[in-house]
Amino acid sequence: MTRTLLSIREVSKNFGDVEALKTISLDLNRGDIVGLVGGNGAGKTTLLRLLCGLYKPSDGEVVFVDDGDAEHPIHKVRSNLGVVPEATGLYARLTAWENIRYHSRLNNIDDKKAWNRTLRLAQALDMEDDLQRQTRGFSRGMRQKTALLRALSHDPEILLLDEPTGGLDVTSARRVRDLVRKLGDEGRTVIYSTHQLNEAQQVCDRIVIIHNGTLRADGSPTKLMEQTNTDSLEDAFVELTQDESREVETPEPESKFQQFWSRLTTGRKQPPSGESPPNGGEVDA
Amino acid sequence: MRNQLSRVWTVASKELLDFIRDWRTLVALVLIPLLIFPLFFIALPIFLQGEMSELDYYSLNLEVQIADGDELPEQLIQPFIDNNLNYTTENLDSGLANLSVSGVDANRLRDGNPHVILRLQQTETNSSESWNYAILYDATSELSSEGNSRMRDIIFDWEQEIIGLTLAEVNLTKQEALDPIHWDGDFSNANVATSAQSAGFALSMFIPMIVAIWTATSAIQPSIDLTAGERERGTMEALLCTPANRVELLYGKWVAVGVVAGTSVLFQLAGLLFAVAFLIPSDIFGVPTLSIWSIASLLLSVLLFAVFVVAVELALAVRAHSVKEAGTVLGPIVIAFIVPAMFAQFVNLEGIEWWWFVAPIFNVCLAMREALLDITDLSHIALWLGSSLFYAFVAVTWAARQFQREDLVESIS
Repeated sequence: MTRTLLSIREVSKNFGDVEALKTISLDLNRGDIVGLVGGNGAGKTTLLRLLCGLYKPSDGEVVFVDDGDAEHPIHKVRSNLGVVPEATGLYARLTAWENIRYHSRLNNIDDKKAWNRTLRLAQALDMEDDLQRQTRGFSRGMRQKTALLRALSHDPEILLLDEPTGGLDVTSARRVRDLVRKLGDEGRTVIYSTHQLNEAQQVCDRIVIIHNGTLRADGSPTKLMEQTNTDSLEDAFVELTQDESREVETPEPESKFQQFWSRLTTGRKQPPSGESPPNGGEVDA
Repeated sequence: MRNQLSRVWTVASKELLDFIRDWRTLVALVLIPLLIFPLFFIALPIFLQGEMSELDYYSLNLEVQIADGDELPEQLIQPFIDNNLNYTTENLDSGLANLSVSGVDANRLRDGNPHVILRLQQTETNSSESWNYAILYDATSELSSEGNSRMRDIIFDWEQEIIGLTLAEVNLTKQEALDPIHWDGDFSNANVATSAQSAGFALSMFIPMIVAIWTATSAIQPSIDLTAGERERGTMEALLCTPANRVELLYGKWVAVGVVAGTSVLFQLAGLLFAVAFLIPSDIFGVPTLSIWSIASLLLSVLLFAVFVVAVELALAVRAHSVKEAGTVLGPIVIAFIVPAMFAQFVNLEGIEWWWFVAPIFNVCLAMREALLDITDLSHIALWLGSSLFYAFVAVTWAARQFQREDLVESIS
């Protein structure tokens, strides 16, 4: 019997006038490996940040459902989350193990326990010899694997992965995918954000397509292909996201005054409402 | 509570480890503050002595302009030679309104030929000998200024000689004529302040300033690195996903930056006191003796100031999206700390109004001054301690609020 672990209920997220996500509802079950798929600016990163409690929804709620069916706001139960952001976020002057230990300590995990678990997982990713090396000079792949080990060091129930195989060579990417599948088999819920539809099809048993801040589809790859009467997930994706995509930077990285100043000094003007800006569909953040 | 403290310590110890791993940070924040004053007090006298003796060796061109009918006094010739002045004599222009009018000689002096001009004109008085004189020079030229300095010394000696001769004619000594009310004994013995007290007084005039400048500047780089730097490098997002809440993260970073800035300031003070104790001759500058109360008061004021400054700088750096932006904001902010500290040096401590000890930045600077002067005024201590704690609390609360910003995960990169 499937049991909901994470529930996203009518969640919207606005940044100023920009609607980054519009009324999204999803239930994620224990053991689900969910592929979060969408183009640039679709709202994937915003959704991931809502799921790990970095953003508060403008409307709706994201709740974690525990074994006793009690619901908790997600930011209160972060120890159940393991997150690998796209930037990996490693400290260059610390060793891989020190990076991992830092996060496991913040999760109140004993060093010895974290080390034993890290070593076991590092063997699966073929990087046990690199744990005592400073991460300065690590390749993109090594950084990704270290960030993955860090996210797993406290044995979380939910894993949020933002482009986890980005920059990895073929062998390393396969190791990561195998590890993710194994984690799913162990009953962990994995949310796997990716641009790679083939990869999503290989790893995930459920695909969620986000486009222009809305949920366009949610189902197994086979179901999505049936639904769109197509032969591949790529065709299904194209069919489901035919309207022109927007590219939205969220949230505002600049203050209002800085935006005004930038417009003044670059000669840009805000396009009238409803009219496409002259830069090919990009909306000023 | 135990978990919270443990997380704060985890963040602080990680940040300190990160600092220790970077040798450039250690050099900038520990080694340089420790060595700057000792090196300054060793190098400065050697440098000044070297520069002065270098000027002494220069042979300078002196033109002596003498009024028609007068002759260059014999008493000046040997001093000219002794002072490396190559002199030539010319006739004084009789059309000058007075001897100080440079006239056509101005351009020659600006060109450095000659370096200095002495104008002499004998006058009739009751003195044994009497002259009008002027020394013309170019203050923007080091050689011309040096020539002026040598000439003034020569003229002074010559004048003293003439005064002595004039007085001798009426059977008077110089002391009888020029110093009828004179000091008896050793001037320095009359000052009841001990050399330690004098040293404390002198140090009180600049230690608060040094503390303000160094605390404000030494906290900038770590404050930026731990906030805007983390945003820019993308490490902030992963950190914010941990169960540690943002206030715990901020406190951890605050402790780390406070330790770094505080250590840096204490090392600098240690270097300064070492220089005062061992590198400056004791007859010029003594070693201040401070009571335990004063030392505690001094350290506490430095600590509270560091707490306040670090919180303000962290809060401002958190608001920036990049290291560059944070640097642009924090650079000028240092002035806001330095200016009050500078003004605090000139506030009279005698009869000082109570509100000075409540005004931000002034309060800790004045507290440091009183501590160095070994003044223990409980009402002042209560005021600066209470107000400093309040400002520190407000600054930390503000920093904590900044750390709650949702866009903290965003960076320009």
